[in-house]
Amino acid sequence: MTTRAEFVARIRGEMARAAALFPAAPAERPARPRERLDVLRRELSERWPQTLDRFRVEFERVGGVFHRVASAAEVPALLERLCRERHARSVVTWAAPALGVDVAPALEAAGIGVETMPHGVPQDAERERLRERVARADVGVTGADLAIGETGTLVLRAAAGRPRTTSLLPPCHVAVFDRGALVETLEQVGIALEAWHDGPPAPGRGAVINFITGPSRTADIELTLTRGVHGPKEVHAVFVDEGLRVTDGE
Amino acid sequence: MSEPLVTTPLRERAQAALGDRFLHEALDIATTKFIGLRREAFSGFPQGEALRDRARAIKEATLQRLDHHLERLVDNVERLGGHVHFATTADEARDIIVAIARRTGARMAVKSKSMATEEIHLNDALAAAGVTPVETDLGEYIIQLAHERPSHIIAPAIHKTRGQVAELFTRELGREAPPDPEVLTRIAREELREKFLQADLGITGANFAVAETGTVVLVTNEGNGRMVTSLPRVHVAVMGVEKVVPSMTDLMVFLGVLAKSATGQKLSVYTTLVQGPRRPAELEGPEELHLVLLDNGRIAQIAGTLREALACLRCGACLNVCPVYREIGGHAYGYTYPGPIGILLTAMLNGPRSVKELSHASSLCGACADACPVRIDIPRMLVELRKEVAERGIAPRRERVVFAMLARVLAHPALYRLAVRMVRMAQRALLREGRAPRLAFLGEWTRTRDLPVAAARSFQERWAALERDGR
Repeated sequence: MTTRAEFVARIRGEMARAAALFPAAPAERPARPRERLDVLRRELSERWPQTLDRFRVEFERVGGVFHRVASAAEVPALLERLCRERHARSVVTWAAPALGVDVAPALEAAGIGVETMPHGVPQDAERERLRERVARADVGVTGADLAIGETGTLVLRAAAGRPRTTSLLPPCHVAVFDRGALVETLEQVGIALEAWHDGPPAPGRGAVINFITGPSRTADIELTLTRGVHGPKEVHAVFVDEGLRVTDGE
Repeated sequence: MSEPLVTTPLRERAQAALGDRFLHEALDIATTKFIGLRREAFSGFPQGEALRDRARAIKEATLQRLDHHLERLVDNVERLGGHVHFATTADEARDIIVAIARRTGARMAVKSKSMATEEIHLNDALAAAGVTPVETDLGEYIIQLAHERPSHIIAPAIHKTRGQVAELFTRELGREAPPDPEVLTRIAREELREKFLQADLGITGANFAVAETGTVVLVTNEGNGRMVTSLPRVHVAVMGVEKVVPSMTDLMVFLGVLAKSATGQKLSVYTTLVQGPRRPAELEGPEELHLVLLDNGRIAQIAGTLREALACLRCGACLNVCPVYREIGGHAYGYTYPGPIGILLTAMLNGPRSVKELSHASSLCGACADACPVRIDIPRMLVELRKEVAERGIAPRRERVVFAMLARVLAHPALYRLAVRMVRMAQRALLREGRAPRLAFLGEWTRTRDLPVAAARSFQERWAALERDGR
């Protein structure tokens, strides 16, 4: 078996014999990414309506369904309508502190089964049960850490109470977000990613960040576009004008 | 050598492909569509050209300090609780992965589309070790059921009709399947969903790995990459060493050009950043994460003639625009990687002998270099390969003798003039209706094309005449 030392030594050996093709440097990174992100957020807060318009256009272009509500209080009713239209009987959702709104009471009152993802990590048997529930759920409700105008993309960071499969296993994914999530470009996402990785990970942090750009799709049979091959067939983005009170975020 | 040498002549393989009318039509539709989508994506993106230059510069810069970036990557993956393995050869990579499967008692492995695992022929090794490999990308799933190999880097089953897929599903899955892509896709979803939930092992490639954060990055459209990295107990990612990028800032530059070049999307549906195994606070995710860093001929090219090919993102754009690929499709190339870049990668993996014929399977038109998001000069390296094939005596003897003579004639004006006169004299006797006859000793050459006819007066002679007449 090749050891790390041998492997790297071979690379060094070849590098010593190699001529550079041209002078080149990697992309310049922000020196203080967290501060840079704060500045960016302030700049973005002044032009969020334009960013939202762009997000909507791009999100709809990739097959997403966009909704806009005035306040967090309107979110449960919207979800209930979406469930009713789809004959959905079972919803899995991130916990209220992660979502910024408690959607369970209204949905349960409407006779829809709701499973809220726990903040802590339960025993194996319970984890297995939850996995089954998520796998069989009709709708998954999550928040979004970023919404990218340039591409119509939602960015979700896994964490305690924000598991990765809520946005993956159910055939319908609904993401709730507000103006604080809006960024314009992929370059700005780079700043956010640099800031998120500046310093050791927070204790509640998960191991995955997902960029989601519309519903799951394939064109593998005769290039015919088909949705929902493995991930959700439908993705909804719900923008909340007055903002969400996410209490367990950073 | 990682792959067995293909021994049937390229000419026969190409002939078979050219005779397949459906393949021909499917290739035409697919490549034309991809070209249009790519053009559209970049036309609405004025900063695209500058971004391509930046992407290329980052690749070159990374290569100039590859040891440093790889060491950073290894340190950071390990810091996050992952394990890193080093595979010099394809054999070694297979052994590493089979050992992981054995140790963890895996019975079934779900795989997300990965050219690196194709390249090392991993599925055969897993099956031999009693682990059932299940391809989960729809295209890969289809060709696995059909016991075939991918024909396009990003659309592996473009050579199959919906009817063929329906027949295949009916036969292999034992369920009624109509020739309707929508229904076929739903059947695959149901079949594979169960596998995702049952599998012990998830195997992926990696589109990138970020050195500074220890992040493995997967780009997919179907969501299978997310399934494979979230549901099984163990995740193994196999990645060529050249895929490392320094930082998240660099990563975003590549994400800005990759999907646009591949499918014309602004971003693929899912970009998944995996940073180690499941964390203590997490409900889900693999308990173990293994990153297998693969050499398999790459490291030798850091200082080799194919260095530039190490910048390849595997987007497939050069396949779609290649006049040769568009006619013969992926299988005729005979190896894992088809198309213009595929010839270079085949030479990288299997040595120049493997591209004795393939290095000529290009018109050197340069469309590939234009389409490449990182502007790899593929034609230049194809010429280099042809040179190497000739100089190392790999090319057929007759070809070498003919070209050696030609080189001599072209390098000596007097000899050239003499040769032209001789050819003209010879052809006067042989020309029929102004066309050159088929000559037996040039059989292959003249079977599908005419031998060019030497002009009655050469350019040099006409020039000399003009000079005499005072222009």
